[in-house]
Amino acid sequence: MVDQLELQSGFARRWLLDAPLLTCGEDIMASYSVLQRFAEFVNRVEPLFINTLNHKLCDLKDIRTTIKNLHNGAVLDDIELFEVKHLAILASDVAHLLAQHGMDGVVEIPSLDEVINILDPDGMRIATFYIYDSYCAPLKELRNQMRQHPEQQDDLLLQASELEEGVRQDLSRRLHPFATAIEQAQEALARIDVNTAKAQQMKHMGLCFPTLSSDGTTRYQAMFHPQVKEALAARGREFQPVDIAIGEHPTLITGANMGGKTVVLKTLTLCQLLFQFGFGIPAAAAQIAVKDEIHFCIGDEQSVEKGLSSFAAEMKNIDAVIKASRENKKLLALIDEPARTTNPTEGAALVTALLQVLAGKDMSLVMTTHYDIEPGDTRCLRVKGFENGTMDYQLVEVQDGEVPHEALNIAQSLGIDSEWIDTARNLLETCP
Amino acid sequence: MEMRPTARLQGTDLFLDVLPFIDDILRYDSLSIVGLEKNTGKTECLKYVLDRLPVERKRIAVTSIGIDGETVDQVTRTQKPEIVLREGMYFGTSEAHYRQRRLVSELIDVSDESTSLGHVVSARALTTGKILLSGPSSSTSLRRWMDEMQQRFGIDLVIIDGALSRMSSASPAVSQSLILATGAAYSASMSTLVSKTAHVVDLVNLELTSDDNLQRLTPLDKGLWFIDKDGELHSLDALTSLSRDIHFQGMDGCQTLYVAGALVDGFLEKVRKNKDLKQVELVVRDFTKVFVTPQQLRLFLKAGGRMRVLQRSKLIAVTVNPTSPSGYVLDSDTLCGKLSEAIGLPVYDLIKNQQ
Repeated sequence: MVDQLELQSGFARRWLLDAPLLTCGEDIMASYSVLQRFAEFVNRVEPLFINTLNHKLCDLKDIRTTIKNLHNGAVLDDIELFEVKHLAILASDVAHLLAQHGMDGVVEIPSLDEVINILDPDGMRIATFYIYDSYCAPLKELRNQMRQHPEQQDDLLLQASELEEGVRQDLSRRLHPFATAIEQAQEALARIDVNTAKAQQMKHMGLCFPTLSSDGTTRYQAMFHPQVKEALAARGREFQPVDIAIGEHPTLITGANMGGKTVVLKTLTLCQLLFQFGFGIPAAAAQIAVKDEIHFCIGDEQSVEKGLSSFAAEMKNIDAVIKASRENKKLLALIDEPARTTNPTEGAALVTALLQVLAGKDMSLVMTTHYDIEPGDTRCLRVKGFENGTMDYQLVEVQDGEVPHEALNIAQSLGIDSEWIDTARNLLETCP
Repeated sequence: MEMRPTARLQGTDLFLDVLPFIDDILRYDSLSIVGLEKNTGKTECLKYVLDRLPVERKRIAVTSIGIDGETVDQVTRTQKPEIVLREGMYFGTSEAHYRQRRLVSELIDVSDESTSLGHVVSARALTTGKILLSGPSSSTSLRRWMDEMQQRFGIDLVIIDGALSRMSSASPAVSQSLILATGAAYSASMSTLVSKTAHVVDLVNLELTSDDNLQRLTPLDKGLWFIDKDGELHSLDALTSLSRDIHFQGMDGCQTLYVAGALVDGFLEKVRKNKDLKQVELVVRDFTKVFVTPQQLRLFLKAGGRMRVLQRSKLIAVTVNPTSPSGYVLDSDTLCGKLSEAIGLPVYDLIKNQQ
């Protein structure tokens, strides 16, 4: 999702990637209220205006090193002074653009007018820089001499460089008090870039604003996976959205192969992350509970380098979930077919035990399985499944965890070798 | 007061005589100066051009591809003249070299691209003075820098100091025109020097293919393609002309063969020896993609083949430096005369002309 954001500047991308996962509901809702203003703004104004804004934001550079130097009281060189002036003018231009559409103050940009005044002694208001003649009368005199007596240039340049250094020292001293404001302005511009891009993404992908769940239950209406939806659309097919609610107790999803169980888990993970990074949510409506940690165990993380088989890697991941569940944190754990790579007897026991161990914990757990297990108090959802030759991906609540036996039908519909499938069918019939 | 036409005419004649090829340069928006070898006088040529361009009425920007402009040649340790910019000229160089500038200049841009010498910075000279030139590190980033200069700062002409024996900056995809600098450093034998230079000139001067071919082939940026006798476009089952197993099957009457990437000797020989391809027109993207020896090219053309390009840059001039870094000196007038005869273009010894 981050890759598909149309960010204008590399700095905004850096800023976004460095941003922490928000774990406080108020922070998340505050970031959505800013995004809400940007979403209205993007829908309201001419696309041409957004282009103008984006074009400006393209100019945002990462000048953190320069700002750090300024903080530390170093004397900035011409390139660094140029960078500061460039940012100050950019911040002022962007503030003006946003103010034209009542967007001033949505993201606070500190005024850097005084910085511009210091670096623009002639009041040109263009983002270019050198040690201007007007900073220092003797410097102006030396430069005039240079033009008249090119043969003395080297000597005159040497004299001028001393005067220039004096000007740089003076400018750096005068700019020093603004270091924090400059840093804030740079971050504000990144925030504007990110919010504009998020707002545009919401519009293009049909994402929704979530609300904060107060009862610990997360609910999605018509949830979809953006990439899968796009891939299907490219082949002229439609993604079937799913409604789902997850409370603070284990939920078991069963269903036929190719029933979209893994996609549901992936989408739940994606949505939770998008929520806690303040992005639009791929659903018609969403009410989401904040979590401290999100665990996603897909079970195919075997690592030859680390010498872990797929079973060992999976066990370790789930082990981390159990350990975290004892730490009084709000967890969301999504586990795809645990213990699928071992024998069904032990596998089913592991899954049943896992449900029992995690049942009492203050966590949201969603797990998929193909094993026939005794669900106990676990809430069970089942993919509607294969009907009349098509797959219905909707989830329905069922009383038991009985798994559908559709693997052979599905394999047949895939055109898998009939000798193999028929032999399997015979085996099932002869030894039930 | 009305100017007398005769005086103006005389003035113009004088101007042309003193400043050969400067007016030609102004017809294009970009010029690349390429040396066929180190010490063939590329930097002198750049200096010559910069000294004479009408900076008062044209916005001119100068940059280099890769690290260049060092005071002492890194390869042969010979002295290189520094580049003198005139007041009002724009330039692009690295941060490190900008800090060492010996002129007063106004910064106009700091690019996101970072080279081993820091970001590429763009500035305008406010006094005449010396600068070490470096610049964007690839032809793609160079092209981006040029677009930026042209669009944002209204630059009329970008001059590129090309890198050592790297033709990429002279590709028509980057610059519209070029000047070739050659000399004794390229070969100490006059006849070899003339024939090797003439070969490069022949490649630069390859003619454009037909409009129809241009339209059909330009979008194809990789692979080998041919147009059969019925005008149908087909892909050959090979990625590059370097592939060992290229089979020319069903190509009887083939009109056009297109190599999107590099064209090499082996492939050209194979084409020449195939009886179905006697009259073929071999199309390449531009001259910088041709890596064939003069012998192979001559044999191919002699057998009836033709070679054409999709993009062409204008060769403005050829300059010579008759002195090699090892001290060997060829006779300037004889060299200019022989080379000029071989390529059908005027050839200049700029160092001699300055003395």
